[in-house]
Amino acid sequence: MALTITNLSKKYNAKTALSNYSIEIDKGVLGLLGPNGAGKSTLMKIVATISKPSEGTLLLDGVNIVQNPDAVRKVLGYLPQDFGVYPNLNAYEFLTYIAAMKGIGGKELKQRIDMLLEGVNLSADAKRPIGTYSGGMKQRIGIAQALLNDPKVLIFDEPTVGLDPEERMRFRQLIADLAQDSIIILSSHIVSDIETIADQVAIMQDGKLLTHAPQHDIIKQAEGRIFEVMLGNADLNSFKTQYEVIDTTRLSDKIRVRYISTPDRIFKASTSVTATLEDAYLFLTRKSS
Amino acid sequence: MQYFFNIVKADYMQRTRSYSFLITLGVTVFMAYSFVPADTANYTTLSASGYKGVNNSAWVGFVSGIMTTVMLSFYGFLLVNSGIKKDVDTEVGLIIATSPISNFKYLLAKLLSNYLVLLTIAGITFLVSIGVFFMRGKGYPFIPTDFIFPYLFFAVPALFVVAALAVVGEVFLGKRNILQFIIYFFLCGICMGLINKKGDHNLYGVFDPFGLSLMTKSVTQYINMHHHENIQGISFGFIFSGHRTFKYFEWPGLNWSAIFLFSRLFWVGLGIALVYISSLFFHRFDFTETITKRKKKKVTISEIGQATNKSAEFNLSALPMLSFDYGILPFIKTELLLLIRQGKRGMWLLNAAIWVAMCAVPLNIAYGYLLPILLFLQVTRFSELVTKEKTNRIHYFAYASYKPVLRMLPAQILAAMILAITLSLPIIIRCAINSNIYSILSIVNGISLIVLVAVMLGILTGGKKLFEVLFFLLTYSVLNRLPISDYLGSFAHNTNITLVLSIFSINIALIVLSLLARSYQTRHL
Repeated sequence: MALTITNLSKKYNAKTALSNYSIEIDKGVLGLLGPNGAGKSTLMKIVATISKPSEGTLLLDGVNIVQNPDAVRKVLGYLPQDFGVYPNLNAYEFLTYIAAMKGIGGKELKQRIDMLLEGVNLSADAKRPIGTYSGGMKQRIGIAQALLNDPKVLIFDEPTVGLDPEERMRFRQLIADLAQDSIIILSSHIVSDIETIADQVAIMQDGKLLTHAPQHDIIKQAEGRIFEVMLGNADLNSFKTQYEVIDTTRLSDKIRVRYISTPDRIFKASTSVTATLEDAYLFLTRKSS
Repeated sequence: MQYFFNIVKADYMQRTRSYSFLITLGVTVFMAYSFVPADTANYTTLSASGYKGVNNSAWVGFVSGIMTTVMLSFYGFLLVNSGIKKDVDTEVGLIIATSPISNFKYLLAKLLSNYLVLLTIAGITFLVSIGVFFMRGKGYPFIPTDFIFPYLFFAVPALFVVAALAVVGEVFLGKRNILQFIIYFFLCGICMGLINKKGDHNLYGVFDPFGLSLMTKSVTQYINMHHHENIQGISFGFIFSGHRTFKYFEWPGLNWSAIFLFSRLFWVGLGIALVYISSLFFHRFDFTETITKRKKKKVTISEIGQATNKSAEFNLSALPMLSFDYGILPFIKTELLLLIRQGKRGMWLLNAAIWVAMCAVPLNIAYGYLLPILLFLQVTRFSELVTKEKTNRIHYFAYASYKPVLRMLPAQILAAMILAITLSLPIIIRCAINSNIYSILSIVNGISLIVLVAVMLGILTGGKKLFEVLFFLLTYSVLNRLPISDYLGSFAHNTNITLVLSIFSINIALIVLSLLARSYQTRHL
């Protein structure tokens, strides 16, 4: 299964949300990274068929899903960033309703819903109105609904928001299992989530694709450009005016500063450190802007 | 103080920057145009036993001012009674609750933004009334104060009271919209009943928040004095009487008494006082107590064990095989469930009481009055039919599902119709016993019309208000036996088939338009 996106653009009046975006996605997890307004959610909405591109094509195994959205809807699992629930329904009723939307029925549906609820740890609360759920519980209902139809294309927009650390870990494991058989597109501002889950990473900015490559190739682009130095409290502000600071860690009497630089103009006593995906992401987006 | 006005301004902008408000203004222009009917029209808006004023400045200005006050006092409440609810739904209320603004200032800001919305609509009718005068004035001089004063002394204070009552209703009755409407219209009914009541001449209008009795008394006295009649009262509203011949009189307008003007300030003061009292009981978006009460339930040891069993593995391969079913029956079932659970359970007791009454009372009462009332009690169910996806942010799932327009929308329409037909069953069965096929057809047709108008307006505006207001006006007109409003076919007609076919054609057009509009929306989020 392959999703081929070619020259995709989306314009809202004068604003361009997505510009000439092309990418080929195979089985596995594609992590989308980018600042707010980069066009990640727009791209996901287009793939989820709820927004039409202004230009470009989207092919799922050769079928144009812009013209024939129902081709992907049958195998789609979508978890939007800002979704809601019907507060008067309980979890079981809500999933039954979503199953109806997805065209799933039969005797096994009840068992499937029970197992999904168990999988997202909501069995004990399944008979309670969803209106009384916490944010994390609603997010887990969202994950369960995305898996109802055994999807082959999964779109997760900020899926780990509201999940506690243990649930996040379980979610990552679930994604790893799903990735063996499906295309998964996942966006998150939590770079460590992408780092743990994604095989491929696409970095976006201002509606454009900055880079798309396996994770280690992206990290390589920042190798030799990331440094750390220990500074006194008073020196930090003037340091920030000269260097691109990525991170600061306050220690007892000093501040450890992680920054981007070229090797020929590093601050004295700095040490080169191994780049992470977060470093590479900041390096590429700042370089671009 | 500046921040207070910024809150009012932001709230006003939020409410008026919507398609539904734009459509409301469009409807307002049409309504305002019809407030002062042409001489050839088959209706009147202010009738005094066969007498009608000539279209001079005073008559046009006062009739327009009065009609604006009456109509806007009635449906304005429905338009503005969701300001606090919006803050609850959007959770902006939680931010407000943590800010230093006092309950009274917050509610006062809501009152003022309600008021500004109503004044905007009144402003439109004011401008239209001047236009109507120049169209129908027939050479009478234009006197600006004949237009300004009725709006200033009738509409402006009355709308303030309406805006205040909307806030009070929201504070004390929260989301119980229907109950708010019932109580409000009961109060309005009492006020309207007082208009034609006899009393001390100097106190005409003082105890009437609309102030209208001042004009009714002036008009009746003028006719009685100059035409030697003994007219006791005046009727307001759209009164269809065919092409009737009226006797005309040249009404010179009103003399405003100081006590009356002072009484307007009293009503404004009363509005503020009511809001102040409500602020003492305002929840300030703290619903913890209610939720805690609802959640109080003994938790068993086994439940605790289940809830904390976070280490359970999610075995995808163990999930049972999928079987596909692209029919709409499961949809209809859930939509019905949602319709039934919507609103307060207590309202079902009222529904049930009316349903039982429809089996027992004479058919003309049950059909002509109880059925429209029972259907109107479902107003929030119908208005939420296609807006609830967006309100609850389910639309992402819904629009990304398989054939959402051809499966989900018909299911929603059918579910609402099943509910409405079930509620109408006593009348349908009684008509069937009488072999009255026309009435059965009319009821099904009328029910379809209401559901489809709710669907169409919900899709177009994304909101519920416009439908709720229109449905209210329609029900009000039906209860007042306005022939054009007979959507259920309960009046005696000699054009039965024409009415059925007209409504049927409108229904077909609404279905097509709704499908097209929803189809566009599902691809343009």
